[in-house]
Amino acid sequence: MPVKGIRTVTAARNGVGAFILQCKRLDFHYCNFGGSSRGMLAFLTQTLPRFAKENPQIEIRVSPRHQKHPMIKGQYINGNEKSICVRNLEPEDILKKAMILKDASGDKLKRTKKPITSLNESVRGIWSPYHGDLRGV
Amino acid sequence: MKRLQLQRWSSTVLSPRARTGNCLHQQLYTAKLRYQSTASSIQSESAPYDAIDVLEDPKLMSQVRRVHKHKSALAYPSPPVEAATRSAKLAALHARLYLPSRLPLQTLARTLVDASADENADFNNESLATLGHDLLTYYTTEHLLCNYPRLPLTVIFAAMYAYAGPKTLAAMAKEWGVEHAAMPGGEVDPGYLQFQRVEPGTDVEANSDLQSARPYAAQKNWRKTVTSKIFYDDEFGDQIKGVVSTGSGSGSGVTAELASATFVRAVMGAIYLHAGRPAAKRFFEQHFLSRHLNISELFNFSQPARDLARLCNRENFEPPVAKIISETGRKSRHPVFVVGIFSGQDKLGEGAGASLLEARERAALAALKGWYLYSPLNVRVPSSMEEEGAAPWKPVYVDLGEVIV
Amino acid sequence: MATSIVAPKRPFLTLPFLLPSWTDSLALGSRRYQSSYRRTKQRLRVKPDASFGPSHAGQDQIIYNPPSSAPTAYHTPNKFLPADDARRSMLVESLNSVTSNVSELPGVYKSEAERKYHLTPSDIEEIRNLRMNDPMTWSRYKLAKRFECSPIFIAMVCEASPEKKQMQKQVLEAVQSRWGVKRRMAREDRQLRREAWGRDE
Repeated sequence: MPVKGIRTVTAARNGVGAFILQCKRLDFHYCNFGGSSRGMLAFLTQTLPRFAKENPQIEIRVSPRHQKHPMIKGQYINGNEKSICVRNLEPEDILKKAMILKDASGDKLKRTKKPITSLNESVRGIWSPYHGDLRGV
Repeated sequence: MKRLQLQRWSSTVLSPRARTGNCLHQQLYTAKLRYQSTASSIQSESAPYDAIDVLEDPKLMSQVRRVHKHKSALAYPSPPVEAATRSAKLAALHARLYLPSRLPLQTLARTLVDASADENADFNNESLATLGHDLLTYYTTEHLLCNYPRLPLTVIFAAMYAYAGPKTLAAMAKEWGVEHAAMPGGEVDPGYLQFQRVEPGTDVEANSDLQSARPYAAQKNWRKTVTSKIFYDDEFGDQIKGVVSTGSGSGSGVTAELASATFVRAVMGAIYLHAGRPAAKRFFEQHFLSRHLNISELFNFSQPARDLARLCNRENFEPPVAKIISETGRKSRHPVFVVGIFSGQDKLGEGAGASLLEARERAALAALKGWYLYSPLNVRVPSSMEEEGAAPWKPVYVDLGEVIV
Repeated sequence: MATSIVAPKRPFLTLPFLLPSWTDSLALGSRRYQSSYRRTKQRLRVKPDASFGPSHAGQDQIIYNPPSSAPTAYHTPNKFLPADDARRSMLVESLNSVTSNVSELPGVYKSEAERKYHLTPSDIEEIRNLRMNDPMTWSRYKLAKRFECSPIFIAMVCEASPEKKQMQKQVLEAVQSRWGVKRRMAREDRQLRREAWGRDE
């Protein structure tokens, strides 16, 4: 056989075609009695319905957690979980925290040194000393 | 082109919705039938409980039945239709994939039920997956053949596998955030992918009974030509597996990879049925074609220099000659030679290597890749003619075929 | 060695002994006090590529000045383009191409063996007889020498007898059994590297 094929798998490029939001689920935990949950209770009754409507991709769960501070937990497609404690926060601040969790990719935070990463080959190729502007002596 | 009435087609997926007016029909069969639509939802309290025995342990099973809130859910091996609208997971998945609003949640729930979980063909995703698989492979094939008309068949098989093979589809299902149910059952949230898992220790490759149409298929050590693979084998050049024994009910499961792949195919089929061809094609382009594949890495040559000589002979080019373009350190520990392959005055390819033989082989390989990876300008695929107001069709470039040695 | 030695451009400026002859006429002292501003400006004054020149203006063309990197596989050589492809006529080859004169370049092989096509069917029959009946004397190389052809041609027309093959296999196994770890690994690595060529790795 002159040439054989090598089997591989195509690599995902989220956002090149469709964009899949990486936050899969948000869990809102609150306490009915604790004072630190006052802002969270207001958030759940006033802001959360609109937040849920604006982000239908996210499954939202609300559950009480007695004698504990209120908390938001995000579940991500890569299997990670991120949680933010929102004790004593106002509804607007809680919304900001929820947006942080929503926009996160689920990966650990890391410093990005290059502004763009791409799977595409460089147009100019990798520099090689044996090609290009050669000159005979 | 005349638009087809898709609602009529999709009615086969959600059959009783289209027949809600048929009251007599409903009254006659309410006690026995499962319905595929909430339009005919009858909360039958007297649903037959002996339909399934999901759990082996009868004591545990009875406890599950007692505790479970929706007792009707346990009547059948897959979640009831009315559960689809209650599932937050399912709605989130629908929104996450930007599925068209014409695709109802009930059908999306059905795509998540594998044939190994529910044997009833009206409630599992087998039929949708068959349609989706055909669409996927068709769109992939036309993309590959029109964009790279000279690709050898083995590479086309590999590229097809990379774009629409089960491994890729399983990875996509994972990237879509689809979770697997531990065990299929009526009480499971319909947002989970439901399938019967393979027993640990079973040989996945061995138990598939191969029923190929190929003559002398029993002769294992006979040579299989690449051309015969077009006729007898599937899209990826693999032998076609025999009919998977789902109907036997022997509890034979499927692997998670296969179940995920079937789900992705079923989503494709469901979009085609409910939202039509343009939506299906858009979905394909956004989710499948946008993935990254470097086709030049799919080649594995054994004797590129010989193939190139044969190619030049076939195309009436001057025979290829290898010449040294530059070199360094010939007598040293690490020499580098840059060799170009020339046919007449034209350079066909060049390669660098640590020996003259290596550089020559690499140069011949580069030249062959240059031939095979030719892509015409302004490529249109045949399915683009289905769009409204498409320009007249111009025939695409068709190549002689790969080099045969 | 008859090959024309080729050096890349960039080290060219940094290595004084490679500079062309006009620099030799300058005294070393005058170069030493050359102002750095003028020097840097001079280096930047690069002539544009000839394909950008006025002779090609006004018509559709593709300017192809390959970068200093190995060529990509997606670039189809001009010869491989079909006759009706628009790129065929539009491509303006870079004028300062190194490989402008192919016939001057040295070949990979020292001397291409001339093909004579002198063997008749009776000769080939004789080759087969000799190799089958007396494989110990008539090896491929001896046959090639006698019939003035290449050993590859001998391998193409005839095959060794099964006994000879078996014997050769035993000899090879005996030789390989004396290999130590280092040599065995080196041979395996060489084989793996050879296979990697075909995948272009």
